[in-house]
Amino acid sequence: MGKLSVDFGMINSDNIEQLQPYLCSYIITKKTNENAQQQQQQQLKKINQACFPVAYGDSFYRDMAKKSDENLCKFAYYSGLAIGAICTRVEPIPDDPNGRSRLYIMTIGVLAAYRNHGIGSKMVESIMEYYENEKDGKLSTVDEIMVHTQTSNVDAMKFYMDRFGFEKGELVENYYKRIDPPHCYILRKKLR
Amino acid sequence: MSSDNPQQGQGRPLPKKEQDLFKNVVKFYESKNYKKGMKNADQILKRFPNHGETLCMKGLILNGMAISAVGGSKDKKREEGEEMKKEAVELVKRGLMMDMRSHVCWHVYGLLHRSSQNYTEAIKAYKQALRIDEENLQILRDMSLLQIQMRDLIGFKETRLRILTLRPSSKVHWLSYALSVHVNGDAEAAVGILDSYFGTLEEGCEEFQKNFESSELALYKNQLLSETKGEDEDGLGGVKKALEHLDEIENVVVDQTGWLKAKLSYQLQLGKFEDAKDTVFILFERGLTEEHRVHGAYMCALLKCDRATCLEVEKMKGTGTLVTLRPISEEERNILLDAYGSKHGLSKLYPRSNGIKRIHITILPTNGEEFKTAIDKYCQKQITKGVPSLGADLSSLYLMEDSLSSGSRLMLAADPLDVKAHPVHVLLVDLIEAYITSLSSNNSFPSGDGECPPSALLWAWYLRSILHEQVAEYAQGITLINKCIDHTPTAVDFYELKARLLEAGGDIQQAADVIDAGRDLDHQDRYINNQTTKTFLRAGRDEDAKKRIALFTREQGTPEQYLYDMQCAWYELELADLLRRKGEFGRSLRKYMAVVKHYEDYHEDQFDFHSYCIRKVTMRAYCDLLRFEDDLWGLPNYGRAAEEIVKIYLYIHDNPSALESDAEPDYSKMTPAERKKAKNMARKKKNAAGKGGSKSDTKSNSNGGSGNVKKSKPHAIDEDPSGKELLALNYLDEAKKYAAILARHSPKSVSSWALQYDVSVRRGKMLMGLQSLFKMKSIDSNCHQLFSRVVDFSRRLESRSSKCHDTSEEIISAEFPKLMGGKTLSEFVNSAIERVKSDAATDLPMRTAVAKAIVTLGEGSAPDSLSVILDSKLNCRCVNVDSCREALEFIASVGGDSGKGQFQALLVTKFPFLKDF
Repeated sequence: MGKLSVDFGMINSDNIEQLQPYLCSYIITKKTNENAQQQQQQQLKKINQACFPVAYGDSFYRDMAKKSDENLCKFAYYSGLAIGAICTRVEPIPDDPNGRSRLYIMTIGVLAAYRNHGIGSKMVESIMEYYENEKDGKLSTVDEIMVHTQTSNVDAMKFYMDRFGFEKGELVENYYKRIDPPHCYILRKKLR
Repeated sequence: MSSDNPQQGQGRPLPKKEQDLFKNVVKFYESKNYKKGMKNADQILKRFPNHGETLCMKGLILNGMAISAVGGSKDKKREEGEEMKKEAVELVKRGLMMDMRSHVCWHVYGLLHRSSQNYTEAIKAYKQALRIDEENLQILRDMSLLQIQMRDLIGFKETRLRILTLRPSSKVHWLSYALSVHVNGDAEAAVGILDSYFGTLEEGCEEFQKNFESSELALYKNQLLSETKGEDEDGLGGVKKALEHLDEIENVVVDQTGWLKAKLSYQLQLGKFEDAKDTVFILFERGLTEEHRVHGAYMCALLKCDRATCLEVEKMKGTGTLVTLRPISEEERNILLDAYGSKHGLSKLYPRSNGIKRIHITILPTNGEEFKTAIDKYCQKQITKGVPSLGADLSSLYLMEDSLSSGSRLMLAADPLDVKAHPVHVLLVDLIEAYITSLSSNNSFPSGDGECPPSALLWAWYLRSILHEQVAEYAQGITLINKCIDHTPTAVDFYELKARLLEAGGDIQQAADVIDAGRDLDHQDRYINNQTTKTFLRAGRDEDAKKRIALFTREQGTPEQYLYDMQCAWYELELADLLRRKGEFGRSLRKYMAVVKHYEDYHEDQFDFHSYCIRKVTMRAYCDLLRFEDDLWGLPNYGRAAEEIVKIYLYIHDNPSALESDAEPDYSKMTPAERKKAKNMARKKKNAAGKGGSKSDTKSNSNGGSGNVKKSKPHAIDEDPSGKELLALNYLDEAKKYAAILARHSPKSVSSWALQYDVSVRRGKMLMGLQSLFKMKSIDSNCHQLFSRVVDFSRRLESRSSKCHDTSEEIISAEFPKLMGGKTLSEFVNSAIERVKSDAATDLPMRTAVAKAIVTLGEGSAPDSLSVILDSKLNCRCVNVDSCREALEFIASVGGDSGKGQFQALLVTKFPFLKDF
């Protein structure tokens, strides 16, 4: 299948459709931020609901809206429609003596109809790109990128390992509560 | 007493000291320094308590203070303001009595009236002042503004002439006088005045240079020239002169596009079609390829249309052109196709123009292969791109002959029945079905070159769903739109369409929930927010609606107040509809009146432009404004509000008991003391209305039509939210007032005359009723409104207790039979029955009207009447939730349960989501 030209991010000057919410912001400046967050909450929710067997609680979306960094959490737009989303965060590596941190991909999803067009790759790439740009700046404490994948999700493991050079790490048992199998692997890639 | 005091008008001026004080009073008033002005005035009055001019000035100052107090927000202050205003009027009147021969007193008296928008009285006072001081420029100027505002055109002309004679050196006065002559219909003389003005100027002065003002003035003169008759027999002498004049002014004009468009129009009117084509191409080169009026003109030039057609095409709006105005012959079509589609045609010259591509499709014969290819290409492109408006865009191809114009004009098919039979719709359905099959199997269009993006299938489904919507196939539409939502749940458009389908299909509640879910995806989109609000209102959920609309209003103040201040008519109309459906007629009237007030404000708003436009020499735009304001009451939103006001007043006139349920809940919310007070108030008002409360109301309305609205504007809505005052008026008088406005300003609408009829017969004015019937007949002789009213009229003639004047009786008995084609009532109804039976498409309201007539006149049995409706199987025109509700009501009243059951069975097939029937 061919590659689709997708646009990323919260804001992208090339894509007027996507700019729309921001163009409207003159209406009520005070409410804008709050509204923009709520709106993105809903969009993200729709995408995640369509993509994942796991239902995230409202608190997840509220947190996303509050803390989201547009470089780490972004939508993929195709001709003005939000069709995919990736949410990552920077978190400390547990028990690390040097206090280093890692990039953790919390969710990544593309609506079924738009898969196999390289959109997921582009989203991961855009995160990697951000790391490359900021590795001596904001992300100077980050050593690795990691993600949880369900043990049965062979496609996903292939995706991370073959395309991005992730390595299979330890098995986490009973990571998921309501889906079967409940176990997952940790996939990680050393970034430096 | 008054003889003791100095009075200016009687030749006894104030002593020097007081004279200075008086000058200060005037100065302070003009600079709005009211307190100081008041102090000075009181100082004079201390010595001369009866000095007329000072009393007047004091009154004027008090009035000024009152206005600023009323503008404030506190209730107490407002009451004080009202008191002050009364006192002000007293003072001015007393001053005037003291010194009737002072022009100052009369001027002040005029200003006072003007400040309460009582323009007719103000003009009278100014005239009186001018009788004393003929050359007072200030008063003359003030008066001329009032005269043009009130459209006292002859008076306006006289005043402007007097001003010009007094001050012939001022440009503004020349222009104003020319305009005053122009609005009186004498363009020729207006040109003469402008020429005289140019004659007073020196060679090479700024007026002859190239700048905005000289350009506008030159174009205004040109417009005047084109309106003159000229000496030629064909009446085109003016246009000829105007065309020549354009060349003279070319190097002064800065509005090149306006200049070219004027040239184009004149060339067409004069039949200089080759020249016109050249002008069109200059316009295209200037980048006007997307403007449909230029294309309309181009088509007129190509087909050598007559002057009337050219002028009609010039006025068309939106994407209208000659080909959407009237049917064209094969020969004409070929000429147009050659100009647009061929190798040397426009689409080759301007390959990037969407307008030209789209117009080309409209010209192509819809039965040809070429049309199919073109539309296929167009749809593929738009679907690949993902253009949500494609459905609406394509629906402008559903052109059909307008039955009311006997085939000389085109109209768009709108009724599902007509759309379904339309060849373009049939073609589109086939086309899109093929897209969907092909896209879902191998993700490419049937013609097959190249892979499409995944969204192509999505937009194909969406378009197919809209095509279903157009022909009222709601269930099928929903199936497809659900697929869209599953495919891409993040797009707002899909939720909107789904809500529309649900609403039309009968489930307004679910529609509201669906569109609200869509709204949740984009909180910044005012459009979807408004649509949500509207759907909530239609679903009767005014609280939800208020919450949604409040997301886009300012935070201070109530949303309702903000929407009123922003003149948000659509919201008020929808809310008023909701209240009316709930039977809260007072509150509903209040909301409709709010819309009426907006229009009064629009009318009031022109006041500032009278002096401004002439000073800025935007004469052409100013003339447009004057014309717009003259037609203001014919605009759709005003019409909707006025119609509903008339209907409500007629309804409560016919059903006085309908109000009881309305008033009760209002009382129940109050404390016992409040309740008593309110009831007393209501009783008092009712009594007042009986005696002549309505008289004072009509008076304030005849004066410029705006009463006290403007000044108390920020509060107008709070004073009487439940509309008790409106319900205390005389219902028929109010209905009459608005029906008359509708008849005058929307004379081409059947419903205007239907209402005029309803009001007239209730007032016992049979002749006026008859006239309305004839007006309706001249608009649409087959409409159900006319039919039911002819029946009603004939029954009223029989049953009335008193006769009209002899002459009226003669006219009625001579003219009325013409409405029934010279037949008796029974024959008339029977011929209508025949017509309904022979034409399966006869609209549902007509069927209901005929069925009702059968029952009321005893022209057949109840089953006969039911069959008129049921035989249609609802495969007729005008089948919607409202018309079905009315039919059902009738059927339930005569047909009992079996008839009702049959009709409901039909309803379910048409409205799959029907809930509350």
